[in-house]
Order: sequence, then C-alpha cells, then structure tokens
Amino acid sequence: MATLHDGVVSATAPTLPAKPGMSMFAIGTAIGAIVLTIITAISVGFSLSEIISNFGRKNSVVEGLLNPDWGQIWSRRSRSAFIETLQLAVLGTATGATVALPLALWSTTFGNPNRALRTLVRSCNNVIRSIPDLLWALLFVTAVGIGALSGLLALFFFSIAVTTKLTSDTLDGIDMGPIEAANASGASLTQMLRTAVVPQILPSYTSFVLYNFELNLRASAVLGLVGAGGIGARIEFFRGRGDWEKLWGLVVMFFLVVFIVERISVTLRRRLI
Amino acid sequence: MTDSKLRVDRVPTPPDGVKLPKKPLGTFRWISTALALTLVLWSVLEIDAKWSRLPEAPADMWTLGRVMFDSMEVSKIPDLLSAMWESIAIAWLGTIIAAIFAVPLSFLAANNLVGKPVAWITRQVFNLLRAIPEIILALAFIPIFGLRPMAGVLAIGVGSIGTLGKLFYEVIESINKGPVEAADAVGASRLQRLRWGVLPQVTPEITSFLLYRFEVNIRASAVLGLVGAGGIGSDLAEALKFKDFGTAGLGLIIVVLGTICVDTISGAVRRRIVSGKKTVLDVDQEASLHVGSMSMGI
Repeated sequence: MATLHDGVVSATAPTLPAKPGMSMFAIGTAIGAIVLTIITAISVGFSLSEIISNFGRKNSVVEGLLNPDWGQIWSRRSRSAFIETLQLAVLGTATGATVALPLALWSTTFGNPNRALRTLVRSCNNVIRSIPDLLWALLFVTAVGIGALSGLLALFFFSIAVTTKLTSDTLDGIDMGPIEAANASGASLTQMLRTAVVPQILPSYTSFVLYNFELNLRASAVLGLVGAGGIGARIEFFRGRGDWEKLWGLVVMFFLVVFIVERISVTLRRRLI
Repeated sequence: MTDSKLRVDRVPTPPDGVKLPKKPLGTFRWISTALALTLVLWSVLEIDAKWSRLPEAPADMWTLGRVMFDSMEVSKIPDLLSAMWESIAIAWLGTIIAAIFAVPLSFLAANNLVGKPVAWITRQVFNLLRAIPEIILALAFIPIFGLRPMAGVLAIGVGSIGTLGKLFYEVIESINKGPVEAADAVGASRLQRLRWGVLPQVTPEITSFLLYRFEVNIRASAVLGLVGAGGIGSDLAEALKFKDFGTAGLGLIIVVLGTICVDTISGAVRRRIVSGKKTVLDVDQEASLHVGSMSMGI
C-alpha cells in the first residue's frame, strides 16, 4: 500500500511476506486438548466399535422411539404431572428470580461498598452456581421429602444461580453516570439502586428471567427422576416398567410443548432487548 | 440528617408554559406483567406441594448438612476423587464428540455460507436437540450401553450438539466478508474458501465456546450419574440412598471444588484465547474484539 501513496513502484519483484507461525499458546492448547482427549478416552473405556455394535443391535429403547404411544399425554395422571411441571417451573422462576436481583446487585462494587460482605455474597453465588439442578433436587428430597415442594426448592436455587450470574455480567457493563448523579443528589443506597441501576438493567433482567423459565421448564421435567415431582415421576415410572413406547410418547409430547413455549419466549426476549 | 431537607420528595411543578413529558405507558408491558402474575398466582394456588413442610425445610437442610459433616471419613476421598475425574472425562469426551458434529453442521446453518432453506432446516435440528435434556438422553442410552460412563459420554455428546451448533453459526455469521471475497477472487474452491476465508476468523471464538460448553457439561455429567450413567453422581446417589451421609457430603464438596477448579482453569484459557495477550479488558475493548478483525482487514 505504501508504494501507492509514494507514487513509486518498486522495481524488484515483490517478496511474499513470511507466513506467520502458530503461536506457542495455540500449539500448547492444541497439544493439551489432544492429550486430554486421549487420556479421558482411556479412562472411560471409549470405543467406537462398541457404539456401532450397540446401536446395530435390536433394542426396545429405539423400537419404542420409533412407535411412540401418543395417547399418553391425554391420560389423567400424565396430564396432572404435566401441569405440575409447568407450575414448578413458574414458581421456581418467580421466587428464584426475585431473590436473584438483590443478590446480583449486592455482588457489585457500587451496590455493596462493604468489601467483606461483597466477597461473602459472591462466594455464596459461586457455591450455589456450582451445584447442578438435579443435585439440589436430590438434596431436598433427602432432607425435606419426596414431592413437588422439594422440586420447587431445587428450582428456586437453580434459578438464583442462573439469573444472578447473567444479571451480574450485565451489571458489569452499565453506565456509571446515573449512579454518580444519584449519589451526588444524596440518594441512599437503595434509592440509588432503584433509580440509577435497576432501570438500566431491567430489559436484560426480564429477558434473563424468561430464559431462566425456559431452562426451568426443561429442568423440571427431570426433577421427578429423583422424586421431586412433575412429569419426571411418570417418566421414571415408565422406565422402571420398560414401557418405552409410552415413555417416548410422553417425552416427545412434552418437549414439543417446551419447544413451542421456547419459541414464544425467544420472540418476547427479542422484543425486550 | 440535615441533607434530607435537600432531597426532593415530589416532582417540582414546572414553570409556566413548560409541559412535563408524559410517562410512557406500555400496554404490552402491562399485559405481560398481568399475565405473568396470574400464572404465578395460579401456580401457588393449584400446585400440589406440601406447604406445611416449607417452614421446616431450613431446619431439615441444616440437619442434613450437620449429619454430613459429622460422619465424614477421609478414607473415602481417593474413591470420590477418581469418580470426579470420571465425570470430568465424560464431560470432555462428550464435548469433543459434540464439536465433531457441531462444527460442520454449523457451517450448514450459517446464512452467509449456504442458502436460506438449508440454514433453516439445520437450525431446526439444533433447536430440537437443544430442547432435550441430557438426562433424558442418558435414560435412553443406559439400556443400550449399560450402567457405564459410555452412556454418559454419548448423552452429553448428543445433547451438546444443538447448543454448540447455535453458538458456532452465530460466530460464523458475524465474520468479516473480506477474506471470503478475497478467497473467491483468487479462484478458491468451496472447501478452500472455508479453510482460508472462514476458519481462521472463527477458530478463536469457536474454541472459547467449546471450553465454555465443557464447563457447563461438567455440571451435567456430575448429574448424569444420579440415573446411573457413571461419574461422581452415581457415588452421590448411592451414598444418599444408603444413608451414608458422610460420603455424600464429601462427594458434594468434591463436586463443588472440582467444578470451581475446572471453571477457573478453563476460564483463564478462554480469556487468553479471545484476547490474545493477557490484558484486563473493559467492556469497550471486549466489544471491539468482535469487530477487531474488521479493522485489521482494511
């Protein structure tokens, strides 16, 4: 390009620039990934031929999937389990997301000036986040007992984990101007958060809550596998009996509904942001 | 507090002739809020939960926690650690398997590389795969592969294709057209165009998403064991079933610490991949990473 500006074209044949080599970091990452793959493949006893031979064999699971029993969703017990799943997802999201907002606000420097308290809130969030939904369910089933209440408590904690994480990421990037303005006009911490921070994050927060609802709907389907209510209990029941036609009929129908709800929610979320 | 006098409690009346702007009243917002509240109310009233147990729940959890801590045995740690390793291995292999399918498929889902109909169909496949939880897949794979880690690996592998594919095609669609046009201009074949025009641009972000999914999958694989698909979940479920609360507590701690540990390592690698040299990024710089390739192309 420089020759164009100078108006002088070099007479010598242009030499190609040297090909840039891969950085040490890229090579290291690639080797690390390959080594990790080999080690993990050995430790779980991975074999491709086993996959092929196992799928080639006739089995009731695949046969059930090929002729599912669509009538399942209309049976009374399945339907009430289905509704319970929906209720679990709604309540889990509503309660969890409500608690998540202050938790996210308190984990920021401007929302929580006290360093020790902030660290405490952050570590709490981290611990809650590192326990998966089904594990929460198992813990509550053990401590509180079998039933929808345990499922609800599990989804409550799961929602806190998801919404807090997403909201704090958004909080990291907000405009500090309104906060300074609120502080300058003598607002208390709560007033500042209410007027300068919450309006900024409200659209994203609402969209995270919707996203969280989608996740919860899917999660609440499996909570029943460990005894925490919802449609999972029916799935577990059919699995126990080896009734794969009914199981797949129920599962496919359920996920069709989830799929539709998700589409609606995605459209709403697009509108919000 | 003297400064409370300074605080404005009401909106001050504007001077004559100045009209305050009207507060926007979104009908859409009101309707959706009302709908959401109705849904919550209906759920509270209709759900068949034993609400009477709720006040006792914190005490119950406390008791469970105490029993767990009281009866911990150090001798169980090596077994649990190797089970945690198995969970990590399941997550990693599953992620790799998913990537093997998701990378080529995501090229077929990117609007800027293939025709609209093909992209649409591939996207629906992703959406469908994304809707199924890994646990359900594990339930299906366990009768086929037995109660072994292989069932978990495949459940995670199949279950991650949808999410990874979606993340990948979004990256591909945001690329700079320049290198692709340059490849076309020098007469590259379709494959060469992908190799030289697209792949170099998307590799860093695809790798970073892969690692992110690995972090997510560790949690998933820890859970898969609860239904018998190998890993630390199996040990946890077993311990809770036989009321061996000490082992369950230790297992829980190992899950939490193991997850945080892998998250930290993987997160550091991710940040290094996306940012190049290790620097502290503010949001503006973070955003410029996505358009950075564009300015370099000119």
